Amino acid sequence: MAWMRAIKMGFGVVLCISALSCGGGGGSSSGSGTGGTTPPPPPASPANMVSVIVDAGPPSVNSVNTLFVSVTVCVPGSTTSCQTIDHIQVDTGSYGLRLLAPALTLTLPVETLAGGNSLAECTQFVDGFSWGPVALADVTIGGEKASSVPVQVIGDSRFTNIPSGCSGTGGMEEDTVSKFGANGILGIGPFELDCGDCDTNAANGFYYSCTTSCTQTAVPMAMQVPNPVTHFAVDNNGSIIDLPAAAATGVAMLSGSLIFGIDTQTNNQSGTQTVLTVDPMSGDLLITFNGQTLSNSFIDSGSNGIYFADSSISLCTNQSINTFYCPGNPLTLGLSMQGLNGVMANNLTFTVGNAQTMLSTAPTDTDDVLPELAGTLPPGNEGSFDYGLAFFYGRRVAVAVQGDKTSAGTGPYIAF
Amino acid sequence: MPTFRSNKFLFPVLFCAVLSALGPNIACATLGEAETTVQTDVDQMRASIRSSQDRLGYRVHEVQLPTGTVLREFVAPGGNVFAVAWAGPAKPDLRQTLGKYFDAFASAPRQNFADRRHVQIQQGDLIVEARGHMRALSGRAYLASAIPSGVSMGELH
Repeated sequence: MAWMRAIKMGFGVVLCISALSCGGGGGSSSGSGTGGTTPPPPPASPANMVSVIVDAGPPSVNSVNTLFVSVTVCVPGSTTSCQTIDHIQVDTGSYGLRLLAPALTLTLPVETLAGGNSLAECTQFVDGFSWGPVALADVTIGGEKASSVPVQVIGDSRFTNIPSGCSGTGGMEEDTVSKFGANGILGIGPFELDCGDCDTNAANGFYYSCTTSCTQTAVPMAMQVPNPVTHFAVDNNGSIIDLPAAAATGVAMLSGSLIFGIDTQTNNQSGTQTVLTVDPMSGDLLITFNGQTLSNSFIDSGSNGIYFADSSISLCTNQSINTFYCPGNPLTLGLSMQGLNGVMANNLTFTVGNAQTMLSTAPTDTDDVLPELAGTLPPGNEGSFDYGLAFFYGRRVAVAVQGDKTSAGTGPYIAF
Repeated sequence: MPTFRSNKFLFPVLFCAVLSALGPNIACATLGEAETTVQTDVDQMRASIRSSQDRLGYRVHEVQLPTGTVLREFVAPGGNVFAVAWAGPAKPDLRQTLGKYFDAFASAPRQNFADRRHVQIQQGDLIVEARGHMRALSGRAYLASAIPSGVSMGELH
Protein backbone atom coordinates (compact mmCIF):
# COMPACT_ATOMS: atom_id res chain seq x y z
CA MET A 1 0.00 0.00 0.00
CA ALA A 2 2.95 2.23 0.51
CA TRP A 3 3.37 2.75 -3.22
CA MET A 4 -0.27 3.75 -3.61
CA ARG A 5 0.21 6.41 -0.99
CA ALA A 6 3.38 7.42 -2.76
CA ILE A 7 1.44 7.84 -6.01
CA LYS A 8 -1.20 9.91 -4.29
CA MET A 9 1.40 12.08 -2.66
CA GLY A 10 3.28 12.35 -5.90
CA PHE A 11 0.19 13.61 -7.66
CA GLY A 12 -0.62 15.87 -4.76
CA VAL A 13 2.78 17.46 -4.86
CA VAL A 14 2.77 17.85 -8.63
CA LEU A 15 -0.69 19.39 -8.66
CA CYS A 16 -0.05 21.62 -5.68
CA ILE A 17 3.47 22.71 -6.28
CA SER A 18 2.75 25.71 -8.44
CA ALA A 19 -0.49 26.72 -6.78
CA LEU A 20 -0.48 28.80 -3.67
CA SER A 21 -3.60 27.13 -2.34
CA CYS A 22 -4.55 23.52 -2.76
CA GLY A 23 -7.11 21.58 -0.80
CA GLY A 24 -6.58 18.03 0.30
CA GLY A 25 -2.86 17.94 -0.22
CA GLY A 26 -2.01 16.69 3.22
CA GLY A 27 -4.44 13.88 3.82
CA SER A 28 -2.12 10.93 3.85
CA SER A 29 -0.84 9.10 6.85
CA SER A 30 2.84 8.63 7.43
CA GLY A 31 4.72 5.44 7.03
CA SER A 32 7.78 3.99 5.47
CA GLY A 33 7.62 4.05 1.73
CA THR A 34 10.22 2.53 -0.48
CA GLY A 35 7.77 1.68 -3.22
CA GLY A 36 6.29 -1.54 -4.54
CA THR A 37 7.82 -4.00 -6.96
CA THR A 38 6.07 -2.50 -10.00
CA PRO A 39 7.04 1.12 -10.53
CA PRO A 40 3.83 2.98 -11.34
CA PRO A 41 3.64 5.66 -14.04
CA PRO A 42 4.44 8.49 -13.59
CA PRO A 43 7.39 7.49 -11.43
CA ALA A 44 6.67 8.60 -7.91
CA SER A 45 9.37 9.74 -5.56
CA PRO A 46 9.97 7.71 -2.46
CA ALA A 47 7.87 9.09 0.39
CA ASN A 48 10.95 10.36 2.22
CA MET A 49 12.22 12.38 -0.74
CA VAL A 50 11.12 15.76 -2.06
CA SER A 51 12.57 17.93 -4.78
CA VAL A 52 14.29 21.17 -3.87
CA ILE A 53 15.41 24.05 -6.05
CA VAL A 54 17.82 26.96 -6.00
CA ASP A 55 16.21 29.84 -7.86
CA ALA A 56 15.35 33.52 -7.50
CA GLY A 57 12.76 32.91 -4.80
CA PRO A 58 9.26 34.39 -4.60
CA PRO A 59 8.44 37.20 -7.06
CA SER A 60 10.65 40.29 -6.62
CA VAL A 61 12.95 38.65 -4.08
CA ASN A 62 15.88 37.88 -6.43
CA SER A 63 17.73 35.64 -4.04
CA VAL A 64 21.04 33.94 -4.81
CA ASN A 65 22.29 30.60 -3.48
CA THR A 66 19.04 30.02 -1.60
CA LEU A 67 17.48 26.55 -1.44
CA PHE A 68 13.70 26.18 -1.52
CA VAL A 69 11.12 23.44 -1.00
CA SER A 70 7.31 23.23 -1.09
CA VAL A 71 5.54 22.34 2.14
CA THR A 72 1.90 21.39 2.65
CA VAL A 73 0.23 22.56 5.85
CA CYS A 74 -3.24 21.62 7.05
CA VAL A 75 -5.37 22.69 9.98
CA PRO A 76 -4.69 19.83 12.41
CA GLY A 77 -6.86 16.82 11.63
CA SER A 78 -8.31 18.31 8.46
CA THR A 79 -7.86 16.81 5.00
CA THR A 80 -9.52 19.75 3.25
CA SER A 81 -8.22 22.88 5.02
CA CYS A 82 -4.79 22.51 3.49
CA GLN A 83 -2.38 24.62 1.51
CA THR A 84 0.83 23.87 -0.33
CA ILE A 85 3.28 26.74 -0.04
CA ASP A 86 6.21 27.01 -2.43
CA HIS A 87 9.53 28.76 -1.83
CA ILE A 88 10.06 27.75 1.78
CA GLN A 89 13.80 28.18 2.43
CA VAL A 90 15.64 25.01 3.49
CA ASP A 91 17.93 25.99 6.36
CA THR A 92 20.34 23.74 8.24
CA GLY A 93 21.27 26.71 10.46
CA SER A 94 17.92 26.96 12.25
CA TYR A 95 15.25 24.73 13.75
CA GLY A 96 11.54 24.73 13.05
CA LEU A 97 9.03 25.62 10.35
CA ARG A 98 8.10 29.30 10.09
CA LEU A 99 5.54 30.55 7.60
CA LEU A 100 4.98 34.09 6.41
CA ALA A 101 1.37 34.99 7.15
CA PRO A 102 0.91 36.91 3.86
CA ALA A 103 1.63 33.64 1.99
CA LEU A 104 -0.73 31.62 4.20
CA THR A 105 -4.43 31.41 3.36
CA LEU A 106 -5.32 29.05 6.22
CA THR A 107 -6.17 30.11 9.76
CA LEU A 108 -4.07 27.88 11.96
CA PRO A 109 -5.03 27.55 15.64
CA VAL A 110 -2.66 29.43 17.96
CA GLU A 111 -1.21 27.48 20.87
CA THR A 112 -2.51 28.49 24.28
CA LEU A 113 -0.51 28.32 27.49
CA ALA A 114 -1.81 26.82 30.73
CA GLY A 115 -3.34 30.13 31.85
CA GLY A 116 -5.16 30.58 28.54
CA ASN A 117 -2.75 33.12 27.05
CA SER A 118 -1.59 32.79 23.46
CA LEU A 119 1.97 31.75 22.66
CA ALA A 120 4.04 33.94 20.35
CA GLU A 121 7.68 33.97 19.37
CA CYS A 122 10.38 36.48 18.59
CA THR A 123 12.76 34.70 16.24
CA GLN A 124 16.11 36.43 16.29
CA PHE A 125 18.30 36.55 13.23
CA VAL A 126 21.66 38.28 12.98
CA ASP A 127 20.24 41.07 10.85
CA GLY A 128 16.77 41.35 12.34
CA PHE A 129 13.84 39.55 13.90
CA SER A 130 10.54 37.91 12.99
CA TRP A 131 7.48 38.11 15.22
CA GLY A 132 4.30 36.06 15.30
CA PRO A 133 2.22 33.45 17.08
CA VAL A 134 3.06 29.78 17.46
CA ALA A 135 0.27 27.76 15.83
CA LEU A 136 -0.41 24.09 15.25
CA ALA A 137 -0.43 22.48 11.82
CA ASP A 138 -0.24 19.10 10.16
CA VAL A 139 2.94 19.45 8.10
CA THR A 140 3.56 17.30 5.03
CA ILE A 141 6.81 17.47 3.09
CA GLY A 142 7.07 15.04 0.21
CA GLY A 143 5.35 11.96 1.59
CA GLU A 144 6.24 12.48 5.25
CA LYS A 145 3.83 13.99 7.72
CA ALA A 146 4.18 15.57 11.16
CA SER A 147 0.83 15.84 12.90
CA SER A 148 -0.21 18.84 14.97
CA VAL A 149 3.26 20.31 15.15
CA PRO A 150 4.01 23.84 16.44
CA VAL A 151 5.00 26.27 13.67
CA GLN A 152 5.54 30.00 13.82
CA VAL A 153 3.27 32.25 11.76
CA ILE A 154 5.36 35.33 11.02
CA GLY A 155 3.64 38.67 10.53
CA ASP A 156 0.21 37.40 11.61
CA SER A 157 -2.38 40.19 11.53
CA ARG A 158 -3.81 38.89 14.82
CA PHE A 159 -0.52 39.71 16.59
CA THR A 160 0.60 43.15 15.45
CA ASN A 161 1.73 44.42 18.84
CA ILE A 162 5.45 43.59 18.79
CA PRO A 163 6.87 43.70 22.33
CA SER A 164 9.71 46.17 22.78
CA GLY A 165 11.88 43.33 24.06
CA CYS A 166 11.58 41.76 20.61
CA SER A 167 12.00 44.84 18.44
CA GLY A 168 14.79 45.88 20.83
CA THR A 169 16.94 43.02 19.56
CA GLY A 170 17.39 45.30 16.61
CA GLY A 171 17.78 45.19 12.90
CA MET A 172 15.05 44.77 10.37
CA GLU A 173 11.56 43.50 11.09
CA GLU A 174 11.39 40.52 8.72
CA ASP A 175 7.64 40.02 8.72
CA THR A 176 6.79 40.24 5.01
CA VAL A 177 7.72 37.92 2.15
CA SER A 178 9.91 40.53 0.48
CA LYS A 179 11.76 41.39 3.69
CA PHE A 180 12.09 37.75 4.69
CA GLY A 181 13.10 36.68 1.20
CA ALA A 182 10.95 33.53 1.23
CA ASN A 183 7.42 32.35 1.95
CA GLY A 184 8.76 30.63 5.03
CA ILE A 185 11.75 28.78 6.37
CA LEU A 186 12.21 25.11 7.17
CA GLY A 187 14.85 24.76 9.88
CA ILE A 188 16.29 21.25 9.68
CA GLY A 189 19.53 21.77 11.58
CA PRO A 190 20.90 19.17 14.01
CA PHE A 191 18.68 20.02 17.00
CA GLU A 192 15.05 19.30 17.73
CA LEU A 193 14.17 22.67 19.25
CA ASP A 194 14.90 26.30 18.44
CA CYS A 195 15.89 27.14 22.03
CA GLY A 196 18.13 25.38 24.49
CA ASP A 197 16.50 26.28 27.81
CA CYS A 198 13.12 27.85 27.04
CA ASP A 199 11.29 25.22 29.10
CA THR A 200 12.87 26.51 32.33
CA ASN A 201 14.10 30.04 31.57
CA ALA A 202 11.32 32.63 31.25
CA ALA A 203 13.81 35.35 30.26
CA ASN A 204 14.86 33.41 27.16
CA GLY A 205 14.28 36.22 24.68
CA PHE A 206 12.26 34.04 22.29
CA TYR A 207 8.87 33.00 23.68
CA TYR A 208 6.11 35.34 24.81
CA SER A 209 2.79 34.88 26.59
CA CYS A 210 0.20 37.19 25.05
CA THR A 211 -3.18 38.68 25.90
CA THR A 212 -3.52 42.26 24.70
CA SER A 213 0.19 42.64 25.37
CA CYS A 214 2.97 40.09 25.60
CA THR A 215 5.52 39.17 28.25
CA GLN A 216 8.40 36.72 28.10
CA THR A 217 7.63 33.22 29.25
CA ALA A 218 8.99 29.74 29.71
CA VAL A 219 7.29 27.12 27.51
CA PRO A 220 6.96 23.35 27.84
CA MET A 221 9.17 21.68 25.25
CA ALA A 222 6.20 20.08 23.51
CA MET A 223 4.84 23.56 22.73
CA GLN A 224 8.11 24.95 21.32
CA VAL A 225 8.71 25.14 17.57
CA PRO A 226 10.56 21.97 16.56
CA ASN A 227 12.46 20.83 13.50
CA PRO A 228 9.39 19.12 11.96
CA VAL A 229 11.49 16.22 10.68
CA THR A 230 11.84 15.09 14.31
CA HIS A 231 8.04 14.76 14.45
CA PHE A 232 7.69 12.52 11.40
CA ALA A 233 6.44 9.03 12.28
CA VAL A 234 9.48 7.52 10.53
CA ASP A 235 12.65 8.81 8.86
CA ASN A 236 12.92 11.30 11.71
CA ASN A 237 16.59 11.13 12.78
CA GLY A 238 17.88 13.71 10.30
CA SER A 239 17.88 14.95 6.74
CA ILE A 240 20.03 14.72 3.65
CA ILE A 241 20.45 17.46 1.06
CA ASP A 242 21.61 16.10 -2.29
CA LEU A 243 22.48 18.70 -4.93
CA PRO A 244 24.32 18.40 -8.24
CA ALA A 245 27.44 20.43 -8.94
CA ALA A 246 27.01 23.83 -10.56
CA ALA A 247 29.19 25.49 -13.18
CA ALA A 248 31.76 27.75 -11.57
CA THR A 249 30.60 30.82 -13.43
CA GLY A 250 27.05 30.32 -12.24
CA VAL A 251 23.80 28.90 -13.57
CA ALA A 252 20.22 30.11 -13.50
CA MET A 253 18.86 27.37 -11.27
CA LEU A 254 19.65 24.02 -9.71
CA SER A 255 17.39 21.13 -8.74
CA GLY A 256 18.11 18.43 -6.22
CA SER A 257 16.60 16.37 -3.44
CA LEU A 258 15.84 16.65 0.23
CA ILE A 259 15.73 13.19 1.77
CA PHE A 260 14.40 12.48 5.25
CA GLY A 261 15.95 9.99 7.62
CA ILE A 262 19.47 8.62 7.72
CA ASP A 263 20.00 4.85 7.35
CA THR A 264 16.26 4.25 7.62
CA GLN A 265 15.56 3.47 3.93
CA THR A 266 17.49 2.24 0.92
CA ASN A 267 17.81 5.81 -0.38
CA ASN A 268 19.39 7.39 2.71
CA GLN A 269 22.31 5.15 3.57
CA SER A 270 25.40 6.71 5.16
CA GLY A 271 27.84 4.44 3.35
CA THR A 272 31.37 5.74 3.79
CA GLN A 273 30.49 9.34 4.61
CA THR A 274 32.81 11.35 6.85
CA VAL A 275 30.96 12.11 10.10
CA LEU A 276 31.85 15.37 11.89
CA THR A 277 30.03 15.83 15.18
CA VAL A 278 29.09 19.41 16.03
CA ASP A 279 28.92 21.43 19.24
CA PRO A 280 25.90 20.26 21.29
CA MET A 281 24.92 23.85 22.13
CA SER A 282 25.66 25.80 18.95
CA GLY A 283 25.98 23.26 16.13
CA ASP A 284 29.41 24.62 15.25
CA LEU A 285 32.57 22.73 14.25
CA LEU A 286 36.22 23.62 13.58
CA ILE A 287 37.54 24.83 10.25
CA THR A 288 41.24 25.42 9.71
CA PHE A 289 41.93 28.07 7.10
CA ASN A 290 45.06 30.13 6.42
CA GLY A 291 46.80 28.39 9.31
CA GLN A 292 44.14 29.41 11.82
CA THR A 293 41.72 27.08 13.54
CA LEU A 294 38.32 28.77 13.63
CA SER A 295 36.21 27.13 16.32
CA ASN A 296 32.88 28.86 15.65
CA SER A 297 32.64 27.61 12.09
CA PHE A 298 29.56 26.12 10.48
CA ILE A 299 28.25 24.52 7.33
CA ASP A 300 24.95 26.17 6.57
CA SER A 301 22.43 25.80 3.75
CA GLY A 302 20.92 29.10 4.97
CA SER A 303 24.02 31.16 4.12
CA ASN A 304 24.08 32.43 0.55
CA GLY A 305 27.85 32.68 0.23
CA ILE A 306 31.15 31.49 1.61
CA TYR A 307 31.94 33.91 4.41
CA PHE A 308 35.36 34.22 6.06
CA ALA A 309 38.00 36.77 6.90
CA ASP A 310 41.04 37.16 4.65
CA SER A 311 42.40 40.66 4.37
CA SER A 312 44.64 39.66 1.46
CA ILE A 313 41.69 39.28 -0.93
CA SER A 314 40.40 42.43 -2.66
CA LEU A 315 36.93 43.60 -1.74
CA CYS A 316 34.45 44.76 -4.37
CA THR A 317 34.53 48.47 -4.98
CA ASN A 318 30.85 48.78 -5.82
CA GLN A 319 29.47 50.16 -2.57
CA SER A 320 26.33 48.05 -2.57
CA ILE A 321 28.38 44.84 -2.41
CA ASN A 322 31.60 46.01 -0.80
CA THR A 323 31.57 43.29 1.85
CA PHE A 324 31.97 40.65 -0.89
CA TYR A 325 35.30 39.58 -2.37
CA CYS A 326 36.34 40.66 -5.86
CA PRO A 327 39.71 39.09 -6.72
CA GLY A 328 41.08 39.88 -10.17
CA ASN A 329 41.19 36.18 -11.00
CA PRO A 330 39.38 33.33 -9.26
CA LEU A 331 41.31 32.10 -6.22
CA THR A 332 41.24 28.45 -5.25
CA LEU A 333 41.90 28.07 -1.54
CA GLY A 334 42.22 25.12 0.80
CA LEU A 335 40.69 24.34 4.16
CA SER A 336 40.15 21.44 6.50
CA MET A 337 37.30 20.65 8.88
CA GLN A 338 37.31 18.91 12.22
CA GLY A 339 34.36 17.58 14.16
CA LEU A 340 34.18 17.58 17.93
CA ASN A 341 34.72 13.82 17.61
CA GLY A 342 38.21 14.59 16.27
CA VAL A 343 37.38 13.35 12.78
CA MET A 344 39.01 15.44 10.08
CA ALA A 345 37.96 16.30 6.55
CA ASN A 346 41.22 17.39 4.97
CA ASN A 347 42.24 18.90 1.67
CA LEU A 348 38.94 20.53 0.83
CA THR A 349 39.10 23.39 -1.65
CA PHE A 350 36.80 26.21 -2.61
CA THR A 351 37.06 29.01 -5.12
CA VAL A 352 36.51 32.71 -4.59
CA GLY A 353 35.26 34.45 -7.70
CA ASN A 354 34.69 38.09 -8.47
CA ALA A 355 31.34 38.95 -6.88
CA GLN A 356 30.93 42.10 -8.93
CA THR A 357 31.25 40.12 -12.14
CA MET A 358 28.83 37.51 -10.85
CA LEU A 359 26.21 39.83 -9.43
CA SER A 360 26.12 42.82 -11.69
CA THR A 361 27.17 41.92 -15.22
CA ALA A 362 24.56 40.99 -17.79
CA PRO A 363 23.64 38.35 -18.72
CA THR A 364 25.01 36.44 -15.74
CA ASP A 365 23.03 38.53 -13.28
CA THR A 366 20.12 36.21 -13.99
CA ASP A 367 22.12 33.43 -12.39
CA ASP A 368 20.85 32.47 -8.96
CA VAL A 369 23.39 29.69 -8.39
CA LEU A 370 26.82 31.19 -7.75
CA PRO A 371 29.22 28.62 -6.27
CA GLU A 372 32.11 31.09 -6.04
CA LEU A 373 30.30 33.92 -4.25
CA ALA A 374 32.28 34.77 -1.13
CA GLY A 375 32.35 37.63 1.34
CA THR A 376 33.85 38.93 4.52
CA LEU A 377 32.73 37.64 7.88
CA PRO A 378 32.41 40.13 10.72
CA PRO A 379 34.66 39.36 13.70
CA GLY A 380 33.21 37.63 16.74
CA ASN A 381 34.28 36.15 20.05
CA GLU A 382 36.01 33.24 18.30
CA GLY A 383 37.19 32.77 14.77
CA SER A 384 34.58 31.59 12.31
CA PHE A 385 34.19 30.33 8.78
CA ASP A 386 30.64 30.19 7.39
CA TYR A 387 30.52 27.73 4.51
CA GLY A 388 27.13 28.38 2.94
CA LEU A 389 24.98 26.61 0.38
CA ALA A 390 27.93 26.39 -2.03
CA PHE A 391 29.29 23.59 0.16
CA PHE A 392 26.22 21.52 -0.75
CA TYR A 393 26.70 21.90 -4.52
CA GLY A 394 27.94 18.58 -5.87
CA ARG A 395 27.64 16.92 -2.48
CA ARG A 396 25.29 14.76 -0.51
CA VAL A 397 25.23 16.24 2.99
CA ALA A 398 23.54 14.56 5.96
CA VAL A 399 22.51 16.40 9.13
CA ALA A 400 21.74 14.09 12.08
CA VAL A 401 19.63 15.32 14.98
CA GLN A 402 21.03 15.51 18.50
CA GLY A 403 20.67 12.23 20.38
CA ASP A 404 19.48 10.29 17.34
CA LYS A 405 21.42 7.28 16.09
CA THR A 406 22.29 6.35 12.55
CA SER A 407 24.52 3.56 11.25
CA ALA A 408 27.34 6.11 11.11
CA GLY A 409 27.05 7.67 14.56
CA THR A 410 24.92 9.74 16.90
CA GLY A 411 23.75 13.31 16.26
CA PRO A 412 24.33 16.16 16.37
CA TYR A 413 26.55 15.68 13.36
CA ILE A 414 27.06 16.67 9.76
CA ALA A 415 28.34 14.09 7.27
CA PHE A 416 29.32 14.18 3.62
CA MET B 1 36.28 43.19 40.94
CA PRO B 2 33.37 44.55 42.97
CA THR B 3 34.25 48.20 42.41
CA PHE B 4 31.69 48.61 39.70
CA ARG B 5 28.78 47.63 41.87
CA SER B 6 29.59 50.42 44.27
CA ASN B 7 27.41 53.33 45.29
CA LYS B 8 28.64 55.59 42.57
CA PHE B 9 26.09 53.89 40.38
CA LEU B 10 23.24 54.68 42.68
CA PHE B 11 22.62 58.21 41.49
CA PRO B 12 22.50 57.43 37.79
CA VAL B 13 20.34 54.39 38.43
CA LEU B 14 17.79 56.47 40.29
CA PHE B 15 18.07 59.20 37.69
CA CYS B 16 17.41 56.74 34.92
CA ALA B 17 14.55 55.16 36.81
CA VAL B 18 12.92 58.57 36.91
CA LEU B 19 13.65 59.13 33.24
CA SER B 20 12.29 55.71 32.33
CA ALA B 21 9.08 56.53 34.12
CA LEU B 22 8.67 59.51 31.84
CA GLY B 23 8.35 57.33 28.80
CA PRO B 24 9.89 54.52 26.83
CA ASN B 25 11.60 56.78 24.35
CA ILE B 26 13.98 58.23 26.87
CA ALA B 27 16.77 55.73 27.05
CA CYS B 28 19.48 55.49 29.68
CA ALA B 29 22.26 53.86 27.83
CA THR B 30 25.08 53.25 27.00
CA LEU B 31 27.05 53.28 23.75
CA GLY B 32 28.61 56.73 23.72
CA GLU B 33 27.42 57.38 27.28
CA ALA B 34 29.17 57.45 30.62
CA GLU B 35 30.48 54.29 32.27
CA THR B 36 27.78 54.55 34.91
CA THR B 37 25.23 53.48 32.32
CA VAL B 38 26.77 50.02 32.34
CA GLN B 39 24.96 49.49 35.62
CA THR B 40 21.79 50.89 34.09
CA ASP B 41 21.99 48.27 31.39
CA VAL B 42 22.55 45.59 33.98
CA ASP B 43 19.45 46.66 35.90
CA GLN B 44 17.27 47.13 32.83
CA MET B 45 18.15 43.71 31.48
CA ARG B 46 18.01 41.95 34.86
CA ALA B 47 21.60 40.93 34.31
CA SER B 48 24.69 40.75 36.49
CA ILE B 49 28.25 41.98 36.06
CA ARG B 50 30.47 38.92 35.84
CA SER B 51 33.77 40.75 35.82
CA SER B 52 35.32 44.14 35.27
CA GLN B 53 38.82 44.28 33.93
CA ASP B 54 41.32 47.02 33.20
CA ARG B 55 43.17 46.42 29.97
CA LEU B 56 45.75 48.49 28.17
CA GLY B 57 43.87 51.55 26.98
CA TYR B 58 40.35 50.69 28.18
CA ARG B 59 38.23 48.91 30.76
CA VAL B 60 35.78 46.08 29.94
CA HIS B 61 32.73 45.05 31.94
CA GLU B 62 31.45 41.56 31.26
CA VAL B 63 27.72 41.25 31.81
CA GLN B 64 25.85 37.94 32.10
CA LEU B 65 22.37 38.28 30.58
CA PRO B 66 19.49 36.03 31.68
CA THR B 67 19.19 34.64 28.14
CA GLY B 68 22.62 33.05 28.56
CA THR B 69 24.28 35.63 26.35
CA VAL B 70 27.39 37.47 27.52
CA LEU B 71 27.54 41.22 26.85
CA ARG B 72 30.78 43.17 27.08
CA GLU B 73 30.87 46.94 27.38
CA PHE B 74 34.13 48.72 26.63
CA VAL B 75 34.95 51.98 28.40
CA ALA B 76 37.51 54.50 27.18
CA PRO B 77 39.88 56.32 29.57
CA GLY B 78 37.65 59.38 29.17
CA GLY B 79 34.85 57.43 30.85
CA ASN B 80 32.47 56.77 27.97
CA VAL B 81 31.36 53.44 26.51
CA PHE B 82 32.88 53.21 23.04
CA ALA B 83 31.96 49.65 22.10
CA VAL B 84 29.64 46.81 23.10
CA ALA B 85 29.95 43.18 22.02
CA TRP B 86 27.80 40.12 22.57
CA ALA B 87 27.88 36.35 22.08
CA GLY B 88 25.34 33.72 22.99
CA PRO B 89 21.98 32.19 22.14
CA ALA B 90 20.12 35.52 21.91
CA LYS B 91 20.93 39.10 21.05
CA PRO B 92 20.96 41.58 23.95
CA ASP B 93 18.40 44.37 24.20
CA LEU B 94 20.16 46.59 21.69
CA ARG B 95 17.66 49.39 22.22
CA GLN B 96 19.08 49.58 25.73
CA THR B 97 22.73 48.98 24.94
CA LEU B 98 22.95 51.14 21.81
CA GLY B 99 20.86 53.91 23.34
CA LYS B 100 20.57 56.87 21.02
CA TYR B 101 22.30 54.93 18.25
CA PHE B 102 19.66 52.20 18.18
CA ASP B 103 17.40 53.87 15.64
CA ALA B 104 20.28 54.30 13.21
CA PHE B 105 20.91 50.55 13.43
CA ALA B 106 17.28 49.53 13.22
CA SER B 107 16.57 51.71 10.18
CA ALA B 108 19.78 51.03 8.28
CA PRO B 109 19.06 49.92 4.71
CA ARG B 110 19.54 46.25 4.05
CA GLN B 111 22.68 45.33 2.19
CA ASN B 112 22.42 43.86 -1.30
CA PHE B 113 22.42 40.07 -1.35
CA ALA B 114 22.17 39.96 2.42
CA ASP B 115 21.28 36.73 4.16
CA ARG B 116 20.23 36.26 7.75
CA ARG B 117 23.71 35.28 8.97
CA HIS B 118 25.72 38.49 8.73
CA VAL B 119 25.30 42.19 9.00
CA GLN B 120 27.82 44.98 8.54
CA ILE B 121 26.37 48.44 8.91
CA GLN B 122 27.93 51.86 8.98
CA GLN B 123 25.63 54.75 9.84
CA GLY B 124 27.66 57.86 10.51
CA ASP B 125 29.99 57.09 13.41
CA LEU B 126 28.17 53.88 14.32
CA ILE B 127 29.45 50.55 13.05
CA VAL B 128 27.55 47.32 13.72
CA GLU B 129 29.07 43.98 12.74
CA ALA B 130 27.31 40.74 13.61
CA ARG B 131 27.19 37.15 12.52
CA GLY B 132 25.99 33.70 13.50
CA HIS B 133 22.90 31.55 13.36
CA MET B 134 20.09 30.35 15.61
CA ARG B 135 21.46 29.47 19.09
CA ALA B 136 24.82 31.18 18.38
CA LEU B 137 24.63 34.90 17.67
CA SER B 138 27.53 37.28 18.13
CA GLY B 139 28.33 40.82 17.18
CA ARG B 140 29.60 44.21 18.20
CA ALA B 141 28.73 47.86 17.83
CA TYR B 142 31.18 50.68 18.22
CA LEU B 143 31.73 54.34 17.56
CA ALA B 144 34.54 54.60 15.05
CA SER B 145 35.76 57.98 16.26
CA ALA B 146 35.76 56.92 19.91
CA ILE B 147 38.16 53.97 19.78
CA PRO B 148 41.02 54.88 22.13
CA SER B 149 44.35 55.07 20.41
CA GLY B 150 46.36 51.86 20.54
CA VAL B 151 43.34 49.60 20.97
CA SER B 152 43.29 46.76 18.45
CA MET B 153 39.93 46.06 16.84
CA GLY B 154 40.63 42.37 17.35
CA GLU B 155 40.26 42.85 21.11
CA LEU B 156 36.70 44.15 20.85
CA HIS B 157 34.62 41.01 21.09
